[in-house]
Amino acid sequence: MLKNNTSALGNLEEIEKVSWNKERVTNLLVRNSMVFVLLIVIGYFSFKNDGFLTLPNLRTILIASAPFALITLGQTLVILTGGIDLSVGSVIALATMTSAKFVVTNPNQFWFAIGLGIFVGLIAGIINGLVVAYLNVTPFVTTLGMLTIASGLAYAIGNGAPINGLPERWGNIANTKFLGFQSPVFVMIAGFIIIGVIMTRTSFGLRIYAVGGNRVAAEVAGVNSRRILIYVYAISGTLAGLSGVILSSRVISGPPNLGSGYELSAIAAVVIGGASLMGGRGKIWGSFLGLLLIQTLNNGLDILIIPAYWQRVISGVLIISAVTVDMWATKRSSK
Amino acid sequence: MAAEAIALEVDSIEKSFGGVPVLHSISFTVPSGHVTALAGENGAGKSTLMKIISGQIKSDAGAIKLFGTILEQGDPIVARRSGVSIVPQELSPYPDLSIYENLFIGREIKNRFGFLNHVEMQKKATQMLEIFGLELNPKIKMNRLSVAITQLVEITKATSWGAKILLLDEPTSAIPDREVDQLYKVVRTLREQDVAMIYTTHRMVEIQELADSVVVFRDGNLALDVSISQADESTIIRSMVGRDLEKLVSAKMNTNTRQKISISNLQVDKKSQPISFDIAEGEILGLGGLIGAGRTEIVEAIFGTRAARGGLITIDGIQIATGSPAKSIGAGIAFVPEDRKGAGLVLSMSVVDNASLPHIRKFSRSGWVDFGVRNSAISKVVESVNLRSRGLSQLVGTLSGGNQQKIVLARWLTQSVNLLILDEPTRGVDVGARGEIYSIIRKLAEDGMSVLLVSSDMPELIGMSHRVLVIRSGVITGEMTRDELNQEDAQVRIFEHASGQLAEDTNVKK
Repeated sequence: MLKNNTSALGNLEEIEKVSWNKERVTNLLVRNSMVFVLLIVIGYFSFKNDGFLTLPNLRTILIASAPFALITLGQTLVILTGGIDLSVGSVIALATMTSAKFVVTNPNQFWFAIGLGIFVGLIAGIINGLVVAYLNVTPFVTTLGMLTIASGLAYAIGNGAPINGLPERWGNIANTKFLGFQSPVFVMIAGFIIIGVIMTRTSFGLRIYAVGGNRVAAEVAGVNSRRILIYVYAISGTLAGLSGVILSSRVISGPPNLGSGYELSAIAAVVIGGASLMGGRGKIWGSFLGLLLIQTLNNGLDILIIPAYWQRVISGVLIISAVTVDMWATKRSSK
Repeated sequence: MAAEAIALEVDSIEKSFGGVPVLHSISFTVPSGHVTALAGENGAGKSTLMKIISGQIKSDAGAIKLFGTILEQGDPIVARRSGVSIVPQELSPYPDLSIYENLFIGREIKNRFGFLNHVEMQKKATQMLEIFGLELNPKIKMNRLSVAITQLVEITKATSWGAKILLLDEPTSAIPDREVDQLYKVVRTLREQDVAMIYTTHRMVEIQELADSVVVFRDGNLALDVSISQADESTIIRSMVGRDLEKLVSAKMNTNTRQKISISNLQVDKKSQPISFDIAEGEILGLGGLIGAGRTEIVEAIFGTRAARGGLITIDGIQIATGSPAKSIGAGIAFVPEDRKGAGLVLSMSVVDNASLPHIRKFSRSGWVDFGVRNSAISKVVESVNLRSRGLSQLVGTLSGGNQQKIVLARWLTQSVNLLILDEPTRGVDVGARGEIYSIIRKLAEDGMSVLLVSSDMPELIGMSHRVLVIRSGVITGEMTRDELNQEDAQVRIFEHASGQLAEDTNVKK
């Protein structure tokens, strides 16, 4: 029932006044299951290890989340339109290599190098968008192609080798600290707030939901669905480009395999956050929780010295359970 | 009648969803070889009952008895084994498989090595189809069949499991009138084979044609349960809506109104002939014709959802930009499409989001939605169309068909509209909401809006239109004025124009 009373855009008065009965409480738990799962996970790790619930460890979790944050945001938008962007990991690598190559040869053109990395992401995203919107190639195939192309180009830029010898200053982008947190943490939080506001408060956000929910109906209502698709893939590409710049700054080098496989983590966060791969349903807030949950889990399991391969098994189980619960909740609320 | 075996007994069935009662203690019986028409507005509880009988959901109280034995509810397999089959409203064949594969899925005939015996299945499929007079090659792929034939194949499949009780959920809602006869034949064949049937429908003709008895639901209550001899049309409609159906009267039109909209040399596609016509201010211009005559294509080309090959549209003598819905909306053209769920609404969004989508820019300042302005504008228009919802934030997917259609209509009314295009505006809409939609359209026309109405429902077309153009194969083959529409033979004449039976067929405005 609660779900029936949500709008793609917020700020709606609840017309229906339902008393707090058992069903409503159950629904509330189901609809916000991710918050509770996150709290349980945090509770468990805090109980098992005193080092978990501390400020330094919070910083660790947040800085570990940051590289995935921007591409998770882009991925959420793409998934809301019913698509998928598999190319973001490779676009990170391409942006990294482009920026690194440029800044190594032109150490004085610092800002231009940053802009170049972001621009490369934008171009890759626009190409994805054009192919999806105008050539009607399925997003899976389009972005799988782009994944391969961008990855190949990333290796080509460094002739198959990483680029080293970046100026010291390059490291300042992502390693500068404010209030004890590195700058990517602020980029992450700002990104979620900005995109979250766009999705709930602007006509652009509403149109993304409309195109994902029913593209034909959106077009009949005057929405230029092709333009929306191009924008969404362009945003996803741009954010991947920015991610690439930040990541290369973290390591002060240009490894051509940076970001490899990140697209799957981003998709996992979005799906755990409750978005439907069919499009039209999902929230930015949900993706944020999904991202935090994955990273908290990884961090906690690290602290408990569980090997990385078992962490992957647990993450996989989490993805399937999250989607199962979500489908069950959707079915329940649509009755 | 009393001697017949009671095949199905619905005994005091009750069901509610989320605390809202949907069925109140429903009881009735259906004997073998008997067709019971189940009528009622959308949301009256018909589909819920069908789902309970076919085991898809469980009732809260009461029992379903099949030949006196209580059915274990909530298990479709048990229901099927006990002889219940359902043909749902939305068919779900396997489109890329052949007819015979569709018929035999789940009980394939195998040879002694465990491989599929295609020859045997094809032979059996031909026999199964022949029972219903269907001469089809069973090797044809399902996706090459019309909706009507697909449905008959589904009925064949449903009954070939040895069904004693067949549930048909609005079987005629998606098929054209000329193909209904074949469905009637199949239903009659099944009746002779002593199959008990429940047949839900909105159409009075079908009830008169097929049913042995009529059961009417209203708001989850049993409003009528009589044999067909005791049920005339007005009795049935009265029990469905609780009031008499108002007679359709077209809107008053000022006779000397000026021409408002002019469509000239509109060419829908490469092969079609260009067509031209005008619509006056406050005029409801009906487009009649058979299904597939090209009417939808014409209105889609005007609105811009379909790319036209050429043509000019002028409003008040000024040529407007065309070619995309956004441009048409900008010029004050509004469109209510034929396929409400597919092209009209985003079912996963709320009432207010759907209603504000076409004019979202008008509710925004440089991209930022002004929620106060938007909510009050939408509240006003949904109130003006008498929308019944739990609030602006209810998801439209959970509304009845009639209420969904009111949103598709209402969302254009926040701005001034020059031309309102309606494509089958009351298809799948229940009787009560239908009347309300008619009065809304009439009022809009009286206020000066030009309306282009595509309708295959003859009483609707004749009753609502000030003038009717009849379309055949994308060409205007006849024009009828209001006076001509008032004649007794109006329906016959429209049909003659539409089917090309008139010798003096001329393109009226060419």
